[in-house]
Amino acid sequence: MIDGKETFWEALKRHGVSRREFLKFSAVITGLMGLPPAMIPKIVEAMETKPRVPVIWVHGLECTCCSESFIRSATPLASDVLLTMISLEYDDTLSAAAGEALEKHKDDIMKKYHGEYILAVEGNPPLGDDGMYCVVGGKPFLEGLKKAAEGAKAVIAWGSCASWGCVQAAKPNPTTAVPIHKVITDKPIIKIPGCPPIPEVMTGTIMYTVLFGKLPPLDSQGRPKMFYGNRIHDTCYRRPFFNEGMYVEQFDDEGAKKGWCLYKMGCRGPTTYNSCGNLRWYNGLSYPIQSGHGCIGCSADGFWDNGNFYSREQNIPFIGTESNADKVGAVAVGAAAAGAIAHGVISKIRSGKKED
Amino acid sequence: MNNEIKKYYLFSPSLRIAHWIWALAISVLFITGIYIGNPFFIGNVGYSATFGDLHALTMNYIRLLHFSFGYILLAALILRFSIIPFRKADRLIIPKFWTKAYWENAFDTLKNYLFITKSHRPYIRNPLARTAYFGLFLLLIFEVITGFAMYGRSNPGGFWDKLFGWIIPALGGEYQVHRWHHIVAWLIILFVVIHVYMVIREDILEKDGEVSSMVNGNKFFEHTPADITDV
Ligand code: HEM
Ligand code: HEM
Ligand code: SF4
Ligand code: SF4
Repeated sequence: MIDGKETFWEALKRHGVSRREFLKFSAVITGLMGLPPAMIPKIVEAMETKPRVPVIWVHGLECTCCSESFIRSATPLASDVLLTMISLEYDDTLSAAAGEALEKHKDDIMKKYHGEYILAVEGNPPLGDDGMYCVVGGKPFLEGLKKAAEGAKAVIAWGSCASWGCVQAAKPNPTTAVPIHKVITDKPIIKIPGCPPIPEVMTGTIMYTVLFGKLPPLDSQGRPKMFYGNRIHDTCYRRPFFNEGMYVEQFDDEGAKKGWCLYKMGCRGPTTYNSCGNLRWYNGLSYPIQSGHGCIGCSADGFWDNGNFYSREQNIPFIGTESNADKVGAVAVGAAAAGAIAHGVISKIRSGKKED
Repeated sequence: MNNEIKKYYLFSPSLRIAHWIWALAISVLFITGIYIGNPFFIGNVGYSATFGDLHALTMNYIRLLHFSFGYILLAALILRFSIIPFRKADRLIIPKFWTKAYWENAFDTLKNYLFITKSHRPYIRNPLARTAYFGLFLLLIFEVITGFAMYGRSNPGGFWDKLFGWIIPALGGEYQVHRWHHIVAWLIILFVVIHVYMVIREDILEKDGEVSSMVNGNKFFEHTPADITDV
């Protein structure tokens, strides 16, 4: 592939991009990263002077939905990011090359750019049976991941798998799959949760990281603040219906047709952080709630284990998944009240005897 | 032993005020909280979505009530804890597990409650009650931490988020925080039912002015209470 020393602007020029188009592109990505227009000159400067950053993209236990999402990024186009913004040196699902030649290239890059490349991780390592549940290039993914992380400048955790564990780590987690921060402890990690994450969130994060040569501002959980700063619920266009108490009770009722709040249909918007409410999907076309389905909390930690997606009823973990806190609570309080009355009657009778 | 009924002044005004504030706050918090968890009994009020909450008991208004009484509960707890250093009788919520008397008196009380013995020795506050109150305070503190953590997340990085946000990863995500907040709400109501019963029972059986003690601060004992050294 291309020499990592080429700048973004040089790479764009090589692809026949005009100066005018280049400036327009710089303005668009500035806005996308949530930065003010005053930052455009800085972005242009960075594009002209910063060498393209080598990226190694590895795949562990995953479903490739993150890659599928990434290649659908519309602003900027994924192809622009891949061909000009970064120098994607290794990606075993996107590369044309395969097999030993590709694995060798990865080793070479890791040596040549030691301490400089960005490691993007899709999926996560299973720890069970020495990592044998996920083998890449003949070796446990766990081993390859650790090795690749060693020389990385920063690590990007794509999707809920790498960030939290996702479906393979859901109870009972037979392969002991763990999020990557459990095995990579000495490198800065940017978490981009979501199943999959929003394409523009992925490209936006990668651009910020390579253009500024540093991590975007992260929240306490390690997620970029500009994309994960708000709850879906706090950015949802159906929120007025929530506040008002106008809820969909069934997917085929009047409220559903009128676009009321999906809270009682189990919507996880109140506990989920993502950009669906403002960036939306498919270049801003729509997102699940807009299409009439509640949020399932796909970017939230442990969302597979949080019970029925279509109900907000809270079960009680030590009683079982079918228990409902309100029903169990009402029965317990009722029993306590009945017990109290019975206890009171007996107490009164016995104390009466004492006085005789 | 004397047979004259003696008056003991136990509960300071601050303690009594705090008690009735949290009794009110918890009642409101429980009802509004259950509604928030499952908004079933009011239904939509049919105003325009944007302006409806100015007119009626909407989800928005019920949440506002919940959060307001959350602040009130917090204030009552701060009042209760801030008086602990200054007055011995205000330290009656501490169960003294490490003393022999705690266990002896606990069994004495328990045997009476299980109808094994006909009466128990008189106590200012028996060990079982102390333990229950202590446990209740832990539950209330949990409710305040989880409540303000959820509340604070609409402004990540803000005051409440910085103060209590750590509980969210500790419980395994925000959905879990809702779940535990909800479960503990029921545990608190379980306490309340038993507490009110025990208080009334004590009042009737021991005739020590139990219920009114939380109003005027006094209890009445014929025999010197076994834990008199605590006040
Ligand atoms: C939400 C309802 C209630 C809660 C959460 C509650 C909680 C408490 C707590 C924590 C204490 C310990 C006081 C301290 O040392 O700070 C206490 C004591 C007391 N409460 Fe309540 N209470 C409630 C309702 C009531 C009601 C309705 C009554 C009256 C019938 C009552 C009567 C008393 C009395 C008499 C005491 C003193 C007990 C003693 O001497 O050991 N409480 N309560
Ligand atoms: C005795 C004390 C309390 C009780 C019994 C109580 C009860 C409840 C219940 C049952 C829920 C519904 C949970 C769910 O299913 O999502 C809830 C939600 C909530 N409570 Fe409390 N709560 C208490 C104290 C507090 C305090 C002190 C705060 C602090 C402001 C607070 C803030 C909240 C918040 C933010 C929610 C979530 C509201 C939403 O999702 O819209 N709670 N509470
Ligand atoms: S649809 Fe979901 S995210 Fe939107 S307001 Fe209702 S509960 Fe919140
Ligand atoms: S609405 Fe919720 S479940 Fe759907 S993509 Fe967004 S975060 Fe994931």
